[in-house]
Amino acid sequence: MKLTVEREKLLAPLQAVIGVVERRQTMPILANVLLAVRDGRLLITATDLEVELVAATEVSVQQAGDITVPGRKLLDILRALPEKLAVALSAEGDKVVIKAGRSRFSLSTLPATDFPVIEDINAQQKVRVVRKELRRLLDKTHFSMAQQDVRYYLNGMLMEIDGKALRAVATDGHRLAICETELPAKAAASQQVIVPRKGVLELQRILEGEGEVELAIGTNHVRAQIGDIRFTSKLIDGRFPEYGRVIPPTPPHAVKADRDVLRQALQRTAILSNEKYRGIRITLRTNVMTVQAHNPEQEEAEEEIEVNYAGADLEVGFNVNYLLDALSAIDGAEVEVGLTDGNSSCLIRSPGSAAARYVVMPMRL
Amino acid sequence: MTRAILHVDMDAFYASVETLDDPGLAGKPVIVGGTTGRGVVAAANYEVRKFGVHSAMPMGEALRRCPQAICIRPRMSRYQELSRQVFEIFHEYTPVVEGLSLDEAFLDVTASLRLLGPAEGMALRIKRDIRRHTGLTASVGLSQNKLLAKIASDLNKPDGFCRIGADNLRAVIDPLPIQRLFGVGPKTLVRVQAAGIRSFGDLRQASDETVWRLFGKEGATMRARAAGIDDRPVIAERDEKSISAEETFAQDIRSQTQLLAHLTQLVDRTGARVRAAHLMAGVVTLKIRRSDFATFTRQQTIEPATHDTATILSVAKGLLQGWRAEYPDWSVRLLGVGVSHLNPATQGDLFAGETIKNARQDAAVDQIRQRFGAKVIVRGGLLPTPAADTKARRGRA
Repeated sequence: MKLTVEREKLLAPLQAVIGVVERRQTMPILANVLLAVRDGRLLITATDLEVELVAATEVSVQQAGDITVPGRKLLDILRALPEKLAVALSAEGDKVVIKAGRSRFSLSTLPATDFPVIEDINAQQKVRVVRKELRRLLDKTHFSMAQQDVRYYLNGMLMEIDGKALRAVATDGHRLAICETELPAKAAASQQVIVPRKGVLELQRILEGEGEVELAIGTNHVRAQIGDIRFTSKLIDGRFPEYGRVIPPTPPHAVKADRDVLRQALQRTAILSNEKYRGIRITLRTNVMTVQAHNPEQEEAEEEIEVNYAGADLEVGFNVNYLLDALSAIDGAEVEVGLTDGNSSCLIRSPGSAAARYVVMPMRL
Repeated sequence: MTRAILHVDMDAFYASVETLDDPGLAGKPVIVGGTTGRGVVAAANYEVRKFGVHSAMPMGEALRRCPQAICIRPRMSRYQELSRQVFEIFHEYTPVVEGLSLDEAFLDVTASLRLLGPAEGMALRIKRDIRRHTGLTASVGLSQNKLLAKIASDLNKPDGFCRIGADNLRAVIDPLPIQRLFGVGPKTLVRVQAAGIRSFGDLRQASDETVWRLFGKEGATMRARAAGIDDRPVIAERDEKSISAEETFAQDIRSQTQLLAHLTQLVDRTGARVRAAHLMAGVVTLKIRRSDFATFTRQQTIEPATHDTATILSVAKGLLQGWRAEYPDWSVRLLGVGVSHLNPATQGDLFAGETIKNARQDAAVDQIRQRFGAKVIVRGGLLPTPAADTKARRGRA
């Protein structure tokens, strides 16, 4: 394997994929990136066995070949070299030698044949979606995914294809986010897959630009080609809960408020909530919402907010972070909060819009 | 609001445990205590009590009264083990358990009345559960406060139950000898008796002056007590830092299936207690004692904290299977499950519907068990499979 390339042309694809390389590996080869060189192109592959990223770039090939080298070390070397420098890589014996300017580095290698690559994913369905829309789905919901939950199927995002609709649902058992978009064309089959958390976060990182992207969905994987980067993620093999059941269809008591005013009031009040549990109490009277917090040190915060509310007097407690997450994701100046009673979940959305909705379960305070 | 307080007192606890472990002792006079010259009676069973032997008596005197008594050295760790099992049963009825010793506890079941029904029923089921789980008997007193509950448990021993309510209060406690009233120590007793007060009734009806003379500013309280009034709360031992259940098997177990079945039962009981205490558990600990007595613990964090039996069970199963992979050929003599990192359950659950399919199941099982007994409903995995049956039969042949 022998190639030469301008520093930036190697750095960019490497930076695009390095996020997948974990800082601590279960297998040594997972610290490496696979360099596959042929036909004027270099393909760099990084994987953690769950998510795989392959980035392509044009290089001058002196000799084709495949090899793996430590990914982060290669990245650090390239980052530290001066700009616009020509960089030469060649496999020599059991090392890869990097020459650039008057610097020379030799990196240890592991055989390319040992590198685990996700080959054919047995795609059963291919769905085209507008990139901006897919980005919006993920941005509006990803913060509600669970992290290292023992209910492993919650540590990811549900992607649901339903006729002409594509839905993303994320929940950690306490709150849920759902966002929907219309596909350019009706999908061949209805389907539900769970993309693991890491896959969602990497996809968010690389999903830029205009145009469409094709999602190929196989039995155990989802794959997408985004520009020069091929993204593949394993799917979580589990049963996502029936989210439809927990979205209150028509909460009887609806509050309309200015989104920023509400958000800032909650932020201020939250300063004196319990640091661990973050509980705040919301009291509603006609056209007035009072938010209140107190902590174990007996410190208290209270604020009154002008709102549009004509329902019964109501009192309910929430984890303020869950409310703030939802309010930050909502578009528009106004927000509508639908409530039922002190023991039931609330529904947060932009008034009149059903695209992005947030459900938060209350706290007993 | 009127409280419902139980006093549960194991009958001749140490001696009963010895008889449990050695059925040959049944019907014979048994003394548990130090067998050296200056030993003291720690416990005396009902047979030897007929000879006037009671606890705290010097062993020498006890043997004079009953030379044929069988003396046994105490085995504290065994008594502790059974006490733990008995207290676990208490905790299935209420988290407000105040242990006085290994064999005695107050239970405040006022908060459990709505879910578990009348206190008398609870008291009888506790006795039954203790007998079924440990083979030992207890006497239970029920009343509205600690003073009366403790008096009540004493009135119908052994294996008894007694209730003191407004209807029989005076009749029961008025005649009681004044030395039974706590707060009356030996020195006070002398003065009290000298004043002609010999019973609860006497003190209740004594004049203000007499009461002041005998007890000083404690007088009003003492007289109120003599009338059966006692405001002391039942204090749960501590904020539950951990909840656990363990079981020593009659015979060492090698079969994974059987171990899982016992594990399921232990997790069931642990889950019930977590829910009864309105807590969520963040860590699951598994305890395994091999046939050679080597003891292992394995732990795992549960994120987020849960009170759901199915979740705790899946974690516990994983821990057991992990241990088994390391020690595939060993038999197990004791299995224990514990949860810790307990926090109050305030945040609601969205899938209290899904995990509620679990929680509802858990709650239904909890209720059925409390009303009809722990053994009435059993998880499928616990039922013997035909293969296990055959093995068991072959073993006996």
